[in-house]
Amino acid sequence: MSGPVIPKFGEGSSCVRGDHTFCPGWVRDHWNDTLGPALVQHIELTAIAVGIGFVLAFVLALVAHRLRVLEQPFGIFSALLYTIPSLALFQLLVPFTGLTVTTVEIALVSYTLVILFPNIVAGLRSAPPDVLEAARGMGLTQRQLLTRVELPMAVPAIIGGLRIAVVSTISIATIAAFLLPQGLGYPIFVALKEPTPFKTEIYSAGALAVGLAITCDLALVALRRVLVPWNRV
Amino acid sequence: MIRKHTRRAAKAAFAISLAVAIVIGLFAAAFARPAQSAGTTIILGTKNFPEEFILGQLYKQALEAKGFSVSYKENIGSTELIQTSLTSGKINMYPEYTGVIVQDVFHHTLSAKTAAGTYKLAKQLEATKGFTLLNATPFFDTDVVAVTNATAKKYGLKSIGDLQKAGGFKFGGFPECKTRNTCFVGYTKQYRITKATFVPLAGISAYAALDAGKVLAADVFSTDPPLGKGSKYTVLADPKHVTGFQNVAPIVKTSVATALGSKFTQTVNAVSALLTQDAIVAMNKAVIVDKQSAAKVAGAFLKANGLA
Amino acid sequence: MTLADAANLHTFVDAGRFVGDHPGFLATKALEQLELSGAALALALVVALPVGVVLGHLHRGSSVAIGTSIVGRALPSLVLIAAFLTILGIGFVNNMVALAVLATGPILTNSFEGVAGVDRDAVEAARGMGMTGRQILRRVELPLSIPLVFTGIRVAAVTVVATAPIAAIAGGGGLGDIIVNQASYRLAGVLGASLCVMALSAAVFVCLLGLQIAVTPRGLRRTTLGDDPARKELT
Repeated sequence: MSGPVIPKFGEGSSCVRGDHTFCPGWVRDHWNDTLGPALVQHIELTAIAVGIGFVLAFVLALVAHRLRVLEQPFGIFSALLYTIPSLALFQLLVPFTGLTVTTVEIALVSYTLVILFPNIVAGLRSAPPDVLEAARGMGLTQRQLLTRVELPMAVPAIIGGLRIAVVSTISIATIAAFLLPQGLGYPIFVALKEPTPFKTEIYSAGALAVGLAITCDLALVALRRVLVPWNRV
Repeated sequence: MIRKHTRRAAKAAFAISLAVAIVIGLFAAAFARPAQSAGTTIILGTKNFPEEFILGQLYKQALEAKGFSVSYKENIGSTELIQTSLTSGKINMYPEYTGVIVQDVFHHTLSAKTAAGTYKLAKQLEATKGFTLLNATPFFDTDVVAVTNATAKKYGLKSIGDLQKAGGFKFGGFPECKTRNTCFVGYTKQYRITKATFVPLAGISAYAALDAGKVLAADVFSTDPPLGKGSKYTVLADPKHVTGFQNVAPIVKTSVATALGSKFTQTVNAVSALLTQDAIVAMNKAVIVDKQSAAKVAGAFLKANGLA
Repeated sequence: MTLADAANLHTFVDAGRFVGDHPGFLATKALEQLELSGAALALALVVALPVGVVLGHLHRGSSVAIGTSIVGRALPSLVLIAAFLTILGIGFVNNMVALAVLATGPILTNSFEGVAGVDRDAVEAARGMGMTGRQILRRVELPLSIPLVFTGIRVAAVTVVATAPIAAIAGGGGLGDIIVNQASYRLAGVLGASLCVMALSAAVFVCLLGLQIAVTPRGLRRTTLGDDPARKELT
């Protein structure tokens, strides 16, 4: 009995088979099925984490701005969080929320929260007392004080915090791929496991991750320049 | 002057917060999945290596071509981990190796004496748990022990038992190999190898570890491309058949298979029947050496054989 | 990698039992991790500390000093570890270099800021007393920069120790071998090893803080333990 038809699958280029340092051909061929989706997933993971983390941190910061109770416990929580290896934190959450994006997001949101909260609080506090006095003297209410003086003056610190949070999240999200086949870390883990670690895949996914981080950082710097043109820090 | 700037900045900050909140809302909506109709959706998982990715894609695409909807969960993990997914209902189908079912899932010390016997035993054992074993593939893929050619020459290694000549040495393998009868436990017990230390390889491949001299011998798979023609590695003989017979057969939850009917089982069996040794080795090479994606390779194979 | 274990409070108990049952093994692994982290930190210090100090002294290249931190933060540890594995092979050296790259940012930036930010009046006074540039550096700027410099070293050290586990996938060893291997050691083992990593990070932090206090000139000691406003921006 004759066996099945085994089609020609197309030989990899000599670059790929010889595992040269970088094979642009592979990148072009696999953009649609490997690198592109990974990049999109990574952006999604980061956007959700920073979005939710920002909203939470903002609310908590507003509360902490009025009642000083939150900062001490928060400081301890954040110091602890950063000594837990992120890989361990992901694994510890899985039994509770399963092997899902939710698990990854809970961890990422936590890391984002501990960066943004102190920065927003510091930002809100940065309004000089005399400016506040003057504003109160002009008859501004507490809420107007917040929206017209304290918040605008907090923008540089908030953006500073966002820069660190976004870049950190992009970095930590690569490790999430150890558990979930999503994000730019996944091609890297797959490439590492090949009989000879596949350089091109590692370098291209890595370059995308670094590029994404730097792009976001520059975008936030540009945003700050738009919002607070007088502040050239 | 200042007032205009602060007001603009405040408005911008508010607008950003609002935009972020809207973005989150959109993503949440995008991620919200409609509840699956219980029982008859195929949730197909695979283990964590390329051959399983290929098998998964083959079954997935063949079923989708026949109109079934398949929820695909690639790269779940090794046997122990994917079995938990199966028994807990997170998946209801995945391709498994017959000898692994008998020896590692049900912990029999040695599987049956033939490939057919192993399949029959595996089928009986899975039936007791409410799972059906569909037809087995012609090809098999067993664990094998490999050393570099230089090592084989140095110690005169021909079969696994010869490793005892090497004295104290490091043996590399995927982490679960350490406790498996078809792997390290079997090798050390059945061949009386007393001085081997197990080195779990979590991130890098066994071939990379062998090349770097991190381990003297390693557990690899018989259909791996590096073991092909002109290989840098020597496969040690396993006369006691510790690694058993390892054809692939898809495990499916019986209730799901029944609900989906004979069209389902026929589709899957048609794919399995085509998977000869040559076919799987060619597909492995395409994915591992030529760096094609498993999805594309599986698609090309199915199309060439009229199944997709 | 799905995970087979359920988790509840009992997992913490099991983790404690894991630590209690394998003290020698965990100690060996912890030592491995310290070796790797220490080597990486030493490499980063040798490269980044002199550069940061000299640039700070000359008040030049601030964009380089600060930019290094920004770029350094944008390099995911996984990418560094994977990239250096392809360049330097599997084992100790590749991971040491990858972790050293991570440590460079905080050390370079903080040593630059520390030396450059020394009170101008003190430098002027020293110059007025006739000190040469090198003497100013050694006797005025370096001692006064200790709080910031050491903060940078501390941040770098804790970062390296907490990141080292991921190097286990590239042959780096250490407690990471357990953390990446839930299949063999179960969730209790992973949790136990993670607690050890946290303890290790804390120990490194405390030791370096103690070293900093010991080295800080007496006149500065009061500010070391107080609030360091610059630290918030640079950590």
